[in-house]
Amino acid sequence: MANAVIEIRNLSKVYRDFWGRKKVQAVKSLSLDVMQGEVFGLLGPNGSGKTTTMKMLLGLLFPTSGDMTILGKPASDVSKNERIGYLPEESYLYRFLNADETLDFYGRLFNMTAAERAQRADELIELVGLGKARRRQLKEYSKGMTRRIGLAQALINNPDLVLLDEPTSGLDPIGTREMKDLIVQLKAQGKTVVMCSHQLADVQDVCDRIAVLFQGELKVLGRVDELLELRNETQIRTGSLSDAAIADVRAALAKHNVTNVEISRPRADLEQLFLRTVRESTERPGRRFSTEEVSASAGSGRS
Amino acid sequence: MDFDIRPYDFVSALRGWLLLSAGLAVISLALALVLSVARNGAAGLRIFTEGLKSYFRDTVTLSSRRILAVARLALLEAVRRKALMVFVVFAVLLMFAGWFIADANERPELQVQVHVAFLLKSIAWLMLPAVIFLSCWAVPEDIRLRSLHTVVTKPVRRVEIVLGRILGLAVVFLAVLLAMGVIGQLWLSRRIPESARAALQCRVPVFGNLYFLNAEGQPAETGINVGDVYAYRSHIQGNSRARGVFLFPKFDESALTINAEGAQELLLECRFEAFRTVKGSEKSVKEGIQAQYTLMSNPREEAFGIFAQSETLRPTAEAFRNAEFRNASDLLKGLAERIRKAPQELRPADYVALHNGLLNAGEQLQRRKDERLTEVSTKFLDGAGVCFPIPKMMADQDAGLRVEIPWENLAKAVDEVAASVLQRSADLLEALPRLEVPLPAFSVAEYHGGDDASVNVTRIPRILRFVAGDESLARFLADVTTEWNAAGKLVENAAIRATLVSDLVAQAKISQLNAERLVVVVLGEELAAGKLSIAGGKLSPPEGTSWFVFYRDLISLQRLVSEDSEGWIIEKDLVKDLSKDGYLRVEVACVDDQMYLGMARPDLFVRKADRPFWVGYWKALVGMGAMLLLMVVVGVTVSCVVKSNVALFFSMAFLIVGLLHDFIIRKLMELEKGMGTFESAVLLMQDRNPEVGMDVSSTTLKVVQTADKSLDGVLWVFSRIVPDFGVFSKATRYVENRFDVPLVDVVLPALAVLGGFFIPCALIAGALLKFRELESK
Repeated sequence: MANAVIEIRNLSKVYRDFWGRKKVQAVKSLSLDVMQGEVFGLLGPNGSGKTTTMKMLLGLLFPTSGDMTILGKPASDVSKNERIGYLPEESYLYRFLNADETLDFYGRLFNMTAAERAQRADELIELVGLGKARRRQLKEYSKGMTRRIGLAQALINNPDLVLLDEPTSGLDPIGTREMKDLIVQLKAQGKTVVMCSHQLADVQDVCDRIAVLFQGELKVLGRVDELLELRNETQIRTGSLSDAAIADVRAALAKHNVTNVEISRPRADLEQLFLRTVRESTERPGRRFSTEEVSASAGSGRS
Repeated sequence: MDFDIRPYDFVSALRGWLLLSAGLAVISLALALVLSVARNGAAGLRIFTEGLKSYFRDTVTLSSRRILAVARLALLEAVRRKALMVFVVFAVLLMFAGWFIADANERPELQVQVHVAFLLKSIAWLMLPAVIFLSCWAVPEDIRLRSLHTVVTKPVRRVEIVLGRILGLAVVFLAVLLAMGVIGQLWLSRRIPESARAALQCRVPVFGNLYFLNAEGQPAETGINVGDVYAYRSHIQGNSRARGVFLFPKFDESALTINAEGAQELLLECRFEAFRTVKGSEKSVKEGIQAQYTLMSNPREEAFGIFAQSETLRPTAEAFRNAEFRNASDLLKGLAERIRKAPQELRPADYVALHNGLLNAGEQLQRRKDERLTEVSTKFLDGAGVCFPIPKMMADQDAGLRVEIPWENLAKAVDEVAASVLQRSADLLEALPRLEVPLPAFSVAEYHGGDDASVNVTRIPRILRFVAGDESLARFLADVTTEWNAAGKLVENAAIRATLVSDLVAQAKISQLNAERLVVVVLGEELAAGKLSIAGGKLSPPEGTSWFVFYRDLISLQRLVSEDSEGWIIEKDLVKDLSKDGYLRVEVACVDDQMYLGMARPDLFVRKADRPFWVGYWKALVGMGAMLLLMVVVGVTVSCVVKSNVALFFSMAFLIVGLLHDFIIRKLMELEKGMGTFESAVLLMQDRNPEVGMDVSSTTLKVVQTADKSLDGVLWVFSRIVPDFGVFSKATRYVENRFDVPLVDVVLPALAVLGGFFIPCALIAGALLKFRELESK
């Protein structure tokens, strides 16, 4: 069984006002483990306590009660940060630095040598696709570019544990796809990823396990595939069927007393459509797609 | 300007700082523990201990690379956010400054003063706002924009962030200061008119201690106040025995300068104030009031002058000063008798003066390390010991307490002193010679304008030729006779050497006529009369007499009247003869009748060889740099716990209290009248002055006074926390006034204050940032 990278026990957080009076309880007796090598998602509506939990893990906030260990160390121990990468909700980077300087600065904080910093910066800038903008100050970056450099800084130390707060926020579908691919890639490298997100589809795509918080309380915790499995339904997927074939299928199912049958053409999701359109447009500039072509290509794009 | 440099005692300052820091640390920890327990209940102690351990671990595992990374970030931030625009303002100021500050008609030193003051103040006041803004803004902005989140989630200790911020801002501002300093130097060297550039100098003054002799020649702490409400200078009366006595301790050869001819000389620079009770003659108006220096070596004054603090003991002091030791002994005996018979006739102040006089005399005599004076100095000190408790006992007795005052013991001790003085009078006379060298009178500049006359610089050659007074002459002749006799230069073939006259002229530098008188008339006649004798190739003085006493008696018998119209001109060495005991005593007299000469301690100083002006200029910039860095430290520290605008407000308050520190202390010590804030407001409204006070009911008076007292309490707290910024600007004032800046006594205190604040501030700021929730809602 994999080791727990994060252990949270009875964690609570109460925000107080200046006079010490209780304002709001953001987290209530939260207990959960995040195992090594998994992608773990923290879900919940606004104010559910997921970001607060993540900030307590990082030492940005102090818990009111409860215990936490990250990579075997208390959350208040700064040395744990040697193996952690953190991408905040918005990229709060120094806007007067350019990409190279940004990565160089964060590399210095890990006591990396100049050569290590330069090599790692090259790799990461390549990874996040900012090669052409590496000399521009961050204040000139678009939101997507800022997220990318934010991600690069989170990975500067090749961390074992990556904490991502709304990683796809502000990204276009291509960026979102790339981010998700990257998360999968990180998992493939054996890293543990914890992410908070409102984008349920994204979470569903990449997370192994999720926890759903509501008003500071843990409501659901489990593997995504288990939680989403519809045990009282069966789905059959084939290539395109003729009307006669559809009638035969209905007849065959009727023999087994299956009456509630819905047979229709499945639809691709918009993300796939968008990605394909962009890819084809890049390959064949100036061309416009008809509805039939889009439909066909979307269907052929389904894997 | 305060020229009164107190020697800086770094060790005791360090000791005080350590004690204060330890106290602060204990209080902070106690407060933190109480807060932790209050917030967390039973777990509070554990949380406190863990926090303390973690903080300690952070502090001892600092990484220079991480600190430098944060420093580099701060530096880049300052540069890219155009903080250096202050530089442009500076350049513009310098470009147009000439329109307003140049006046070629001013005296050179005033021109230098105006230019230097303008430059240094411009640099300070342009940089201070930039320093305060940037240091108060940096950390809160990082927190507000959450840039700090990406930093603190790296393995960075929060104290490293504080140190890095301080270091980065320090580098930025020191670089700007350096650049401004270089440009300022170029500007000054080009801007100051050619004619005034010679005044770009750093004089190296040696200040002495000043006390006064009143018109009767008795010591006094101050001179006469000629009617100023706030008297800075004390005045001495012209054509009287009143003197301003400047005593320069630790005087030696190093105080001399080398003149153009390569000879050593002493420079005395003065700036006295003249006060006329009458207009004076046309000559006097044109040339100014005449003053005169007399260089003195008067150990008798140093040893016994303090007796004159008391009216009763003044004759005793006078007798000691005039070397009338028998008389002094008699007066002391008389005093002992008075103490025996009617001790209460003397006031407690007389006994205080007696104690001070005995103690000072004992110490001064002991300091001379002369075996002959050991016994007499012991007697003086014993007497002081017996006298010490008397004034207190008298006060107790007056208060109704039953106290037995040991009058007999005191009388006996004074008797013993008198006997010892009598017994050792010849030794005292030998050991405490008085040498007096009057210098030519000079005009004191009264109307400071037009030329260099406002400052009097007197050049005194090391070898002084002067008309000897009676005692000086007797001493000189005794010294020459003793020395030459020992060398066998006086006697030849059982008679006075034939070439003695010419030898004296050539070697002792006395005139032919006086040499002849000494050798032929005096020595010849005394030898013939059998008072002197020759034995073993040596000339001997009369039995039981020293050469000094022999010559002194001859002088008093008018046997050594100068044959020369100029008098007995003799030579003395300024260092070897006039400041044998390491003191140079300069007495200043006002020559003109009905005129007064005003002086304060800084008004006369020995001017050592000048140092290059630019050395002082850069020392002043070091002082300024220390002030800017202190503001960086304070700004960054405060901004770690409060928002930027609050930090800004606090830093400004810190700066203002620091700048007004001296004023606040004066106010708290109630050295100035009518300085209560609310009281001043009422006075202003009522259009009344502080001397008359407020016209209000007794209730209102109480309210106003209570309000002022409360405000004073706040000011007291602030004045304890905030250092006196005068310590930083002191160097600037020295340079403006063209004085050298003493490195140890002026620059080091500024750096020490900076260091003294930096260490605790960095630790406090690190703790505040560590135990602060950066995301608190």
